[in-house]
Amino acid sequence: MNLSDSKKKLALAGVLCGLVAACLAYFGNPANMAFCIACFIRDTAGALGFHQAEVVQYARPEIIGLVIGAFIISVATKEYRSTAGSSPMIRFILGMVIMIGSLIFLGCPLRMVIRMSAGDLNAWVALIGFVLGVGTGAFALKKGFSLGRAHETNKENGAVLPVLMLGILILATCSTLLKASEAGPGSLHAPIIMSLIGGLIFGALAQKSRMCFAGGIRDAILMKNFDLLTIIAGLFVVMLIFNLATGRFVLGFNTPGIIAHSNHLWNILGMYAVGFAAVLAGGCPLRQLILAGQGSSDSAVTVLGMFFAAALCHNFGLASSGTAMNAETGELVAGAVTPNGKVACIICIIACFIIAFTNKREQAK
Amino acid sequence: MRKKELKLVITFHTTADAMAMEKECKKVGAQGRMIPVPRSISAGCGLSWCAPLECREELKNVMQGIGLEEEEIHECMV
Repeated sequence: MNLSDSKKKLALAGVLCGLVAACLAYFGNPANMAFCIACFIRDTAGALGFHQAEVVQYARPEIIGLVIGAFIISVATKEYRSTAGSSPMIRFILGMVIMIGSLIFLGCPLRMVIRMSAGDLNAWVALIGFVLGVGTGAFALKKGFSLGRAHETNKENGAVLPVLMLGILILATCSTLLKASEAGPGSLHAPIIMSLIGGLIFGALAQKSRMCFAGGIRDAILMKNFDLLTIIAGLFVVMLIFNLATGRFVLGFNTPGIIAHSNHLWNILGMYAVGFAAVLAGGCPLRQLILAGQGSSDSAVTVLGMFFAAALCHNFGLASSGTAMNAETGELVAGAVTPNGKVACIICIIACFIIAFTNKREQAK
Repeated sequence: MRKKELKLVITFHTTADAMAMEKECKKVGAQGRMIPVPRSISAGCGLSWCAPLECREELKNVMQGIGLEEEEIHECMV
């Protein structure tokens, strides 16, 4: 069945992805974090010992499944193309920006939509920043921004990241080398096999439908085309129904226990950096994993940048904290953005502007 | 709903190339519009130029004029 030749089928792909996310949330993934690329990469980086934040260490099978799912479906449908060479180090920096911005907001664009569907008004505020960031990126594209073209490489080159992901899966299931949280968000997860299958299905659907949160808004801005947004709408509706049906829909700003904060300015600026960098890199965090799975080494480098920055975020105290309830006193402790995180966010936005307006098509040929 | 027709779809190596194509086509009055790369012909989420089939030579000349190299030229239902 072709899931991409009409808007209805694209919406169906979004619905199926929403069902996967809902199942994972129901069977144990953290509340409001059913399927977050940034959080899950951060958890996996922790499992590998890149950072020592004990509450966010777990090799998330969803990330592994996404890459391998995209790899398998692209090979099966002859869309696998091993390419590389489009300004890899700039893409590494963009991957870092995407991760730092995400961990200041506390979620990638996918989780932003999932949080929106659960009534978290902070995510709706952050959406403003994300749209503005994508808009700035689209403006840069109109002004001739380019990282240069990618070239075909040996087909083995594009398979490196999927193989590395397979290696992490083997380590996670057959050894005790990886770290695993005993408390906190990292300890909350669906059964491994369910997470892996969910990731594989999500990855395959995302590859066939070209799902991209930044691309959806970019296409709407540049071409008034809403195909990609149709997929996201499908996912949003399913998650909204799931949250309403299971009593997880809580409308408000300072909701404890959902790993979110109400620093509006920094929610906006964090997602502004993510939207901006995602357009420059050619896709949101989810899309980068999918492109890496279907053979793009440039996207694989962006993913490595995300892994690297995830570790930095926790080693240097850049990641924000979520609003929580003090178990002893019963008081609400507001989540916050750290001073280091604020500085990093500003640096990320400046870096995006420098990249966007110094890399021109004429010089990238 | 708009009926699908067989059209010329030109894909590019970079998004910037597609943007440059749009700019030049508008400048010289060449036919067509920018669309997302159709899912039936490519795995990219980039942009492409869509125009009537008979514009192939005209558009090739436009691209040659500004030193733009297409990735592929397809004929598909859009």
